[in-house]
Amino acid sequence: MSILQFIRATAVCTLLLFVSATAFSQSKTITGKITDSKDGTPLSGITVSAKGARTAVQTNSDGTYSISVPSSVTALVITSVGYASQEIRITGSIADVSLVVTNTALNEVIVIGYGTQRRKDVTGAISKVSSDKLTAIPVSSFEAALQGKAPGVQIIQGNGLAGSGSVVRIRGIGSISASGDPLYVVDGIPIVSDQFLRGNGGAMNQNPLSSINPADIESVEILKDAGATGIYGSRGANGVIIITTKRGKSGKPQFNFNTRVGIATYAKRQEFANTTEWLQLRQEGWTNDGNAGLAPLPGGYTFATAALNNTDWWDQLTQTGIINENNLSMTQGTAKLKTFANLTYSNNEGYIKSNAYQRLSARLNMDYNLTKNFKISLTSGYNRGVNKRVPAAWDGGIGDAMSSALPFFTTYNANGSYFTNGANPIRRIQETKRREIDNRIIGGLSFEYQPVKNLFVRAGGSIEYVTAYDDIYESSNWINQANPDSGYAKRFPYWGANKNGNVTVNYLKTVNEYHKFNFLLGAEAQEYVRKGYLFEIGNFEAAPYWDNPSHYRSRRDEIINQRKTATPPQPTEKALEEYTFNSFFGRINYSYKDRYALQLTARLDGSSKFGPNNKHGFFPAISGAWTLSEEDFIKNIKFINFLKLRASYGIVGNANIPAGKYYGNYQPGGVTYVGNPTLYLNYDGFGNPDLQWETMHNIDAAVEFSLFSSKVTGEIAYYNKQTTDILMEPGTAPSNGLGNIYRNLPNSKILNEGIEFSLNYKIINTSSLKWTIGGNISKNYNEVLDWELGPDAVIGGTNDTRVVKGLPLGVNYLVRYYGVDPLDGLPIWLDKDGKQTKTFSLNHRVFAGSIMPDYMGGFNTSVEYKNFEFSTLFNFVIGGKIYDNSGKYQFMGASKKNWNFREDFFDRWTKPGDVAKYPRLTYDISTFPGVPGEDQFNSTLFLHDASFLRLRELTVGYRVSPATLKKWKLKSLRFYLTGTNLLTFTKYPGGDPEITRDFENPQDRNLSPNVTYLTAPTQRTVIFGINLGF
Amino acid sequence: MKRFYSNLLILAIAALSTMSCKKFLDRPPEGQLGEEEAFKTEADVVSFSNGIYTLFSNNQFYSGRHQVLNELLGDHYKGDRFTGDYAEIFKRQNSFFGATRDDYYKLAYRIIADANLVLKHLDLATTQKNQLEGEAKLFRAISHFELVRMFAQPWGYSPDNSHLGIPLRTGIELGPQPRATVKQVYEQIIADLLSAETLLQDVSPAGKFYTPTKWAAKAYLAKVYFQQNDFAKAFQSANEVITSNKFVLDASYANRFSLGLSTEGILTLANITSPAQFSPGGDLRGNFRSDLAIPGFSFTDQFYAVANTRPADVRKAWYSNTLQTGYNVLTKYNKNFFDLPLVHLTEIKLIRAEAGAETGGANLAVAITDMNQLMTRAYGGTTFNLPVNATAAAVIAAARSERELEMVGEGNRAQEIKRIGARSGTNVDRRGSLWNCNGFILQFPKAEKDANTAFVMNVEGGCF
Repeated sequence: MSILQFIRATAVCTLLLFVSATAFSQSKTITGKITDSKDGTPLSGITVSAKGARTAVQTNSDGTYSISVPSSVTALVITSVGYASQEIRITGSIADVSLVVTNTALNEVIVIGYGTQRRKDVTGAISKVSSDKLTAIPVSSFEAALQGKAPGVQIIQGNGLAGSGSVVRIRGIGSISASGDPLYVVDGIPIVSDQFLRGNGGAMNQNPLSSINPADIESVEILKDAGATGIYGSRGANGVIIITTKRGKSGKPQFNFNTRVGIATYAKRQEFANTTEWLQLRQEGWTNDGNAGLAPLPGGYTFATAALNNTDWWDQLTQTGIINENNLSMTQGTAKLKTFANLTYSNNEGYIKSNAYQRLSARLNMDYNLTKNFKISLTSGYNRGVNKRVPAAWDGGIGDAMSSALPFFTTYNANGSYFTNGANPIRRIQETKRREIDNRIIGGLSFEYQPVKNLFVRAGGSIEYVTAYDDIYESSNWINQANPDSGYAKRFPYWGANKNGNVTVNYLKTVNEYHKFNFLLGAEAQEYVRKGYLFEIGNFEAAPYWDNPSHYRSRRDEIINQRKTATPPQPTEKALEEYTFNSFFGRINYSYKDRYALQLTARLDGSSKFGPNNKHGFFPAISGAWTLSEEDFIKNIKFINFLKLRASYGIVGNANIPAGKYYGNYQPGGVTYVGNPTLYLNYDGFGNPDLQWETMHNIDAAVEFSLFSSKVTGEIAYYNKQTTDILMEPGTAPSNGLGNIYRNLPNSKILNEGIEFSLNYKIINTSSLKWTIGGNISKNYNEVLDWELGPDAVIGGTNDTRVVKGLPLGVNYLVRYYGVDPLDGLPIWLDKDGKQTKTFSLNHRVFAGSIMPDYMGGFNTSVEYKNFEFSTLFNFVIGGKIYDNSGKYQFMGASKKNWNFREDFFDRWTKPGDVAKYPRLTYDISTFPGVPGEDQFNSTLFLHDASFLRLRELTVGYRVSPATLKKWKLKSLRFYLTGTNLLTFTKYPGGDPEITRDFENPQDRNLSPNVTYLTAPTQRTVIFGINLGF
Repeated sequence: MKRFYSNLLILAIAALSTMSCKKFLDRPPEGQLGEEEAFKTEADVVSFSNGIYTLFSNNQFYSGRHQVLNELLGDHYKGDRFTGDYAEIFKRQNSFFGATRDDYYKLAYRIIADANLVLKHLDLATTQKNQLEGEAKLFRAISHFELVRMFAQPWGYSPDNSHLGIPLRTGIELGPQPRATVKQVYEQIIADLLSAETLLQDVSPAGKFYTPTKWAAKAYLAKVYFQQNDFAKAFQSANEVITSNKFVLDASYANRFSLGLSTEGILTLANITSPAQFSPGGDLRGNFRSDLAIPGFSFTDQFYAVANTRPADVRKAWYSNTLQTGYNVLTKYNKNFFDLPLVHLTEIKLIRAEAGAETGGANLAVAITDMNQLMTRAYGGTTFNLPVNATAAAVIAAARSERELEMVGEGNRAQEIKRIGARSGTNVDRRGSLWNCNGFILQFPKAEKDANTAFVMNVEGGCF
């Protein structure tokens, strides 16, 4: 069956299904278009009714309507929530009307899955963040700009490495081994957002979202409940983030040039002991352990030779990074053709020397009306992101500056050669280079056809094509090559294509004036294949491959040729990952008198990720809204402008697991058994034919309001999400001999329940002075309701968070530190029963806290006075814990661990009678009774309150007045100064309280945000910018 | 662009056609075989069984970890340089976290699971059915045997051996399994070995006993019965191996770990170089090799003196206190490559000797002959040989001390301390622990308890 046949058949079916009597015997037909008085945008879904008759229609998506009214009717009434009603006299057969907004927010167009709705009609929980809010601050990845702007959306900013990604959690987290990240949909394409395509190479998760250009984005819609995400079925459980890129607007060509320059530094650093202090601390620990004489020093240093140097490695490795972003866009629109084009070049240096994220991006979006009822749309974008990487955390570099690069180490020896008698991060960043170069091309073409009135058929296809190079160059100095020109260059490429195609049929129907229906039926298929070579491409080279791409190509071709001509020929590449989705979905919207709205969605999802016994899942959702303010008994209450109750229930899924996990992993193992062939079952590779999605039951209820002449607007929402069939990889009994296995854990249930509150207040709203304040706060309660495995079955990341029944996911499971014994300075612990003991034991571990915050949110204020503007955004977290895992080692810094010693540990016991925060220093940590070694020394000594308040954004701007603009023949001109992360208030002693560490896998990311390991603090930036429109 | 449209078309058709739906959703990962694809013919089962055999030579098992864990628990080495997991195990205070132990446990059970997979697919076998079944049962028995000795108190710890053993795995089961009693575990091991003994081939194709034969099953039976202090059966099994005359004592003590020189190996992991390198014993070299650097393991002065008591002992060459100044090191594994015997004739002779002395009668004379054969080799002559009328006690004493010297560094000592303890209640540990103290066995991986909260862990420590 061809597409056209299908479309035709579907159209006919749809018509047959929903057709009803619409014929009028003696009537006249009025047609017209309803637009917004402010900007002339067409308004869809507006009720046009015949005055005095029971006839009404709704406008189409392009704002047009056509109504047949009895010839006796003389006037039409146009009504819509949020707009002033209008009555017009019928003077001919055409009546165009422009409506005046009474409440902008309610009429805001909200992008929902496979369609749009006006805010007032939305029955699901959706937060929208518009482009001006997203691009207000320089971020290398757009999601960081969402922080504090949407209730229920937790964003933990990425760490200080250029291009790093944030942790995004929508209404908590209910997953363990499956990713807890939302689904990202860019212009209808579910994109690849996996943070682990490069694993944890170089102690950084390569963030694919950084290759979405924030300047391209028109709006971001965050879909939170099943009413909203139900249409995404098996991928809707973690919420959906819909990114819509800008499109051409009606009018003459208009250009915008935005440029900004600025500086980047760190928000909050750790402070370390200098050489004199370190040596003294070393000796103190040595003496405390009962040793005599001078303590041994690493690297053959003596106290005298060590005292000669005092290197501040942090200063050596950091810089004031320069931010430079330039963006030129064009928009144009005629009745036939609308175009948006954009070019971006930016180079954002980080605060770590030689670290930068460079972007080159182009976009062309076009909409072409081939005929009145046939539209073709092109959506295309190219982004080249070059991440000039630096090592971090456990991989050295800035991580060394916080750990093993001691203050008496130097960069160079006296003879000018590099110091190599211990960590030397300067040598590392100067003599090794790494770049991740990601090219992302997204191309989409869609056709929208309106065969008859109120029926829309849309077919679209798109490809997201990514090529990525991880380039590493190690100089001859680094690899100790005799030949000074021979460093070693290597490149690890992968390339992937994400293809997506869908067809939707949309039919609008109004029955008896007040009963409005909107039907949507759709089918979608997605195929993703990512490939890589089966060999490493590397060679001795004088320069990195990015400087000599031809060297790379010839080396690559040489190896390919070798493998192809070998006997037998060897394969050269393989699919690293491959999966498909095939889905059918539908949505019915029904509303009555603009008062009652009901939405039903359903999706049938099949995916190659699921086992053969569970290939398809069905995900239904129902949601409804009651606009109380349309009821007469509320209409009389003057101060209420809008009041809506909203509720939803649905079943959604999480399918975000690696592909192919259902499949067995047997592999031939070569001829190794006395000359005979072997065959192995890989450990952890038994496969699971029953593997399926995680199931979530999701309830949402909310009140939306607009009061006091719409000066006060806000929303209070409640949600209850229960996840079952938890996807788990670890936790099997090792005696099964097969290892771990992806499976849906029986008898498991995780609850996320919460309340969100957001409020905006226009305090002053005059033409010369506008002052608004706003904010949101949300509380999420997380509990593992059902769980039958032991506390150590799931070990989040660095061995410090756990999953336990009755407690939140990712709970800190630690030995409690009571204090210091003033007599001998040894730590006093609490055992399981709370009894004091001086002997440490892992059996004393209890549940000591959770990495999840109690409350989080943001508040903002903005003032516009004449041409000046001022705005700020604060974000905050109340409650929750940070586990300072590297602090554990830094506390032992002056011991034989030989790390930097943090200044906040100075408050320690030194002599009998001391009342100190920290125990006595030691040379060998196992002198603390019961401490098996430094790695197992996990206690609440390093667990801290994660609360903080941060001045996230502060902007001062000036808009050139329209009169001057006219003189200069410009459309707009704005200057501004913006700072991010300028102030941070926290009791956390370890520096920056927002911790997105390098994660090992999605499970680590789910369970161990807020667990540090030498995590580079987030950036602080100050920029000056100009927006110019002409 | 043309490709774009064709892709688009394919996708659109795929989206719409339920016919192709099944295929579109079928994307097995490249380069992996599912169970059905992996097991199609007898040859596949043979290859899989070959793979299990090579797992024994994994560093986490017989190529080092197994011997290391036993030597740590034993009483031959100095402990001051051990750190981390090694230090814990050496202190006989193994706790529930620790990859050194976990990885060993996982590998041993992986061998068992793989053996069970062979048994599951035995219906594919035709001509090699017996051999495959015998191999699988032998492999399963060996792994269960080593595990029960490492993770449970020895046979004889309780009068009826109802004390807890290890989870018994006789089928493919992903879920947890409680600990069987030591009695149940030994019953399963013996049943598997008795069955293997009848199923396995008589001679190895290469004549080198690099592949499992019935003699390997009998040798392990001898080891198992001996560990149980069931001397009559131990004698019988050992006797069958020896009287088969398929194995000959090496002329030189040095040949046991060599490239193809030994004739003692009853089941040996061969070092092969072609067509692909396969070198067992990596972690033995890694932990004990002493000619390149100071090894992790060095003997106490006490044991070093024991080993050097008799100047005539040619096996003294296995020790050095000069190779690495200040350290008493082992030289047995100072080679780049060697074949690794899992069970060898010397051990079987020692079993027959001690079991012969224990059972007495005609067996005692056999025992004396065995001991004298070994001692003549060890001392370069008959000087220390036992008299033909030696008492049973003297033979037992000689067998025990020769065993300690012959099998130094082979992971033998800790189990002997326990066996002798269980035999007569005597504590021969030079570090002064009771043979049945709690920490003398390893703790189970915590994951076993986390998968099954009813799982009973071992009691830790208490040996000093």
